[in-house]
Amino acid sequence: MTETIPHYPQPVTDADNRPFLDGWRRGQLYLQHCRGCGKAVFYPRSLCPHCWSTDLEWRQASGRGTVVSYSRIYRPNHPAFNDEVPIVLAEIRLAEGAALLARILRGDVESGMEVMLMASAEAAERFPLPVFQPA
Amino acid sequence: MDASSLGRRLPAESIGIVGYGQSVYSKKTDRTLLSLFAEAAKGALHSAGLDKSSIDGLAVCSFDLPPDNAVTLAEQFGLSVSWAYFGTAGGAGPVASVINAIRAIEHGHASAVLCLAGDAYDIGGHYRMMDNFNRALRNYGTPNGFGGANGLFAIVQRKHMETYGTRPEELGRISVGQRASARLNDNALLRGPLTIEDYLDARVIADPIRLYDCVLPCAGAEAVLVAPLDRAEPGRGVRVLAGYEQHNHPPDEIAPLRGGWELFRDALYRDAGYGPSDIDFVQAYDDYPIMVAIQLEDLGFCAKGEVGKFLAENTFSFDGSFPLNTNGGQLSCGQAGAGGGMIGLVEAIRQLRGEAGPWQVEGARRGLVSGYGMVGYGHGLSTSSVILEGAK
Repeated sequence: MTETIPHYPQPVTDADNRPFLDGWRRGQLYLQHCRGCGKAVFYPRSLCPHCWSTDLEWRQASGRGTVVSYSRIYRPNHPAFNDEVPIVLAEIRLAEGAALLARILRGDVESGMEVMLMASAEAAERFPLPVFQPA
Repeated sequence: MDASSLGRRLPAESIGIVGYGQSVYSKKTDRTLLSLFAEAAKGALHSAGLDKSSIDGLAVCSFDLPPDNAVTLAEQFGLSVSWAYFGTAGGAGPVASVINAIRAIEHGHASAVLCLAGDAYDIGGHYRMMDNFNRALRNYGTPNGFGGANGLFAIVQRKHMETYGTRPEELGRISVGQRASARLNDNALLRGPLTIEDYLDARVIADPIRLYDCVLPCAGAEAVLVAPLDRAEPGRGVRVLAGYEQHNHPPDEIAPLRGGWELFRDALYRDAGYGPSDIDFVQAYDDYPIMVAIQLEDLGFCAKGEVGKFLAENTFSFDGSFPLNTNGGQLSCGQAGAGGGMIGLVEAIRQLRGEAGPWQVEGARRGLVSGYGMVGYGHGLSTSSVILEGAK
């Protein structure tokens, strides 16, 4: 049985974010790490926002993180998501130190809980950006 | 301005706000943005007792204005100006534009600056705008079904609730108090009665944010005229005692419980010469009650983390113990895009001139106006505040 993938709005690929978006198409989470100050960076940049080094290295992340806070969205901004409410959107602090906003699928969510990347081919094919699940 | 007066410096304290105007607000309109700006601008000139020829500076804040800008707006309005400013700070832009207009006049780059803010959109237009608001949100927010500003500020509100114990029934007192004022304001789009039970029982938009935490996107425009105070009729000028802005603070946090007001608060009160307890009313940027609450904390009206108790102990209508957004604010009047960053400024001038009619704050002499906005990857990036006082 095949399910039609909704026409989600897509990120615009550019020279700065291509490794991140290509990585997710393989079900992997990639982060920039600054060789100048050692910090992990999200979202993708052309320079480290901490120290302004342009020496940024892409590394595969562990995919593990902690929910800092979240919302349960019943009125998505874009209609492509209307059949999936509530959308759980969380601020997640990754093990590498950077934070991002991402959907959490499957199961209940609460602040402080551990989550992990949904590193499946199905998830990577369906969702435009990395999604997470309870660890 | 006359070429002969270019570069002639004036003391900043001699410059203030001499007129204000507001368009009709509507949920949906066929009118153009330029027509709304024209209505607000003519109102500001009329209220200043000045005519078009006096304007030689133009500032505008608007999301919808591009591909136009401050300079093409000058062409539309037939104005030759020696200073032009297009705000980039969302709902913090209009207050920032006044701060910058004063600097321009102080240094002789203009002598009377018309500051405009507004947008002509509706709910659908607002959603489309948010999906493409900036590169970071477009690439890393929109593809997540992020729920627009509602989804982001729900994350902030939950964090405040879980960090400090702030409760919805406390935050709701802001919406309820402002609605009581709006009931007297014919230009407020939401004028029905609102109780705390209505607030708590309303449908969930982005848990924990419910319907009456949200503003209604609408069409409207606001205007103020900044000029030397001696050009105002006696008793109708308003001094700007202090004003500061801050952008992208803190620089590396998706959903901070602060926004930058805490950085300039002490300078703001130092410049004004008095503190929070001397302020007669506050017009805080009210995209959400949680952001009003954070402004009240960070501008020193209560200690950080204690706003829940402050909200429980006060009432927020124009005649309440803490007059707040006294015409109903964005939460009841509607959010006319970037005009949401000027609605409080215009209302403050109205109050300080004693022209608020049915919702006049008794003895209003000093007010604080605060802006906030330009949602980036997670929160509003910009803050601005001024302290105003009626000129003798």
